[in-house]
Amino acid sequence: MKRALSAGPGLRLLLFALLGVFVLLSATSATSATTRSSLTTELTRPALMAESTRTSLRAELTGSSAMTRLTQKTESTESHIVIFHINDVHGKIDNFAKVAAIIDAERKSGAEVFFFSAGDNFTGDPVVDRYDPPGEPMRELLARLRLDVLTPGNHEFDYGLEPLRRLAALFPTVSANIEEARPGTFPELRPWVVLKTQSGTKIVVFGLIQIEPANSLPSTHPDKIKDLRFSEPLAKALDLKNLRASGQVLIGLTHIGYEQDLLLAKQMPEIDVIIGSHSHTRIDPAEIVNGVLVTQAGADNMFLGRVDLRVKNGRLVEKKGRLIDLRQMRGEDAAIKAMIAGFHQNPALTRIIAKAPLEISGKNALGSLMTDAIRQSHGLDIAFQNNGGIRLNRLPLSITLKDVYSLDPFGNQVVQIVMTPAEIRDLIKSSFEKRNEIDLQVSGISYIVLTDRTPRIKEIKLQNPDGSPLAEDRTYKVGLSSYIVSSYIFAHQDPGRSLQTTTAEDLIRYLQSGVDLGLYRDVRRAFSEKAAASFRN
Amino acid sequence: MQIKVNEQTIEIFAGARVRDVLLKYSRAEWTRVRNKEKIVTDAHGHEVGLDGELNGGEKLVIEACAPAEPRS
Repeated sequence: MKRALSAGPGLRLLLFALLGVFVLLSATSATSATTRSSLTTELTRPALMAESTRTSLRAELTGSSAMTRLTQKTESTESHIVIFHINDVHGKIDNFAKVAAIIDAERKSGAEVFFFSAGDNFTGDPVVDRYDPPGEPMRELLARLRLDVLTPGNHEFDYGLEPLRRLAALFPTVSANIEEARPGTFPELRPWVVLKTQSGTKIVVFGLIQIEPANSLPSTHPDKIKDLRFSEPLAKALDLKNLRASGQVLIGLTHIGYEQDLLLAKQMPEIDVIIGSHSHTRIDPAEIVNGVLVTQAGADNMFLGRVDLRVKNGRLVEKKGRLIDLRQMRGEDAAIKAMIAGFHQNPALTRIIAKAPLEISGKNALGSLMTDAIRQSHGLDIAFQNNGGIRLNRLPLSITLKDVYSLDPFGNQVVQIVMTPAEIRDLIKSSFEKRNEIDLQVSGISYIVLTDRTPRIKEIKLQNPDGSPLAEDRTYKVGLSSYIVSSYIFAHQDPGRSLQTTTAEDLIRYLQSGVDLGLYRDVRRAFSEKAAASFRN
Repeated sequence: MQIKVNEQTIEIFAGARVRDVLLKYSRAEWTRVRNKEKIVTDAHGHEVGLDGELNGGEKLVIEACAPAEPRS
């Protein structure tokens, strides 16, 4: 060194310059830390503090002092983080006893364990959907499993906002592209959350929800979300790029479908991991797209996703993901299993929701009841139900939810198609020709199929309830089960749209409305030539 | 909306799920998938569930299930 110093003023100048760079870098580093601390402070939400304490979350909320502590710790630590994740469970709770056993075993192993839900916990099983209050089994089970964060899926709104708010009161709930249209509608929701491991690593988790291109709303009944506003998820995500600086790990917990997840990964390499849902895609192992780990765990609680992260000296150095096939697992948590068994005894399913003065029996009467329910629920002109979708011969005098799900067990959606009378005739023709007999029950009109002896259809007459013929120069809003729309071949210009309810839900609502069920004695609205002398309603 | 199944374009109602598209594409194939003789994958080869929600323009492929591993 001495020899170097004596080598001449040029080298001294160089050393001085190097010293200057060192001082400058130190200052920049300090400024950067200050900036990050400020940002962390901005992210702090007072409401989250209590929640994080209650759920034992390692939530980072304390601002600059914690940031200093984090810097000190992560400089010399390595941590293994395991994130278990579920998506699109749709009320299928049975495998949660296995999920609990797997997560508990991992927690005991010493890894830093988190548990995320990417949405659509609700809708798809009467045990959960029809609990009182709706969704309660899911809420209680996720609490026992110590869920760390969830993002709402479109079906989280199916019961209305209150059941989702009850979830959000227990678990940090994130979605960046949902806003309140009216202040106070959903105060529990936040765009992102910062979780902190025991070793000081900060995990930033933001949420996104899908919207339909046609109406810019998530796929649920619009009435359920009228107090909220939604924006395009990928555009909104671009506003979140600065979250990268707020932690060592940035996770998108998304409910936008796999194709959109791929676009998100391509436009935002700042993200470390995307845990997705909505498309029910089974990604195993997780894949790297533009440097982003992308994963999704199928649907219906058949798979548990697992993401392993290694953070060394404050940097994420390794990430990988795979799915655990719960159907192959044997270990179960006995207490959770007992809870699930209890939920299956859902008393709401056997509660009487309507009483009929006489037994409603036969395809004509039951089909008329079911189609009236569809038509009334959505203010439609006409509704159809196929005979194959009527799975009971009669309803008892005291009707329970269980009876409704036995009558209509398929979970078919209601689809609205705007149709001309000619298109309606084509639908009826297609249905009749399956077995040369009446196949579609109807509400809003009556119809008669006139055949010759072969029996080839000669004419189909359509009639309003007052006996007048349908106007040929107008269109009608027609409600159909999704099964009819998908499996019957008939001409229709309008491809239709789902009304985001099922035929069974419409029937339950109709029965609970107090309708006079005495109307369904001997009712018949669909005739073939041999059966019809005249129209009746 | 339009969904491609095995390169055939299917016009289907907005909000349709995988099961709806499959049923419209082919009742026989629908039955094979329901009986677990075949699976449905997306354009990237990932298996999708029958209640998977779809956006217009997506592609589905119906594939034979991988043969079960022989038991030792």
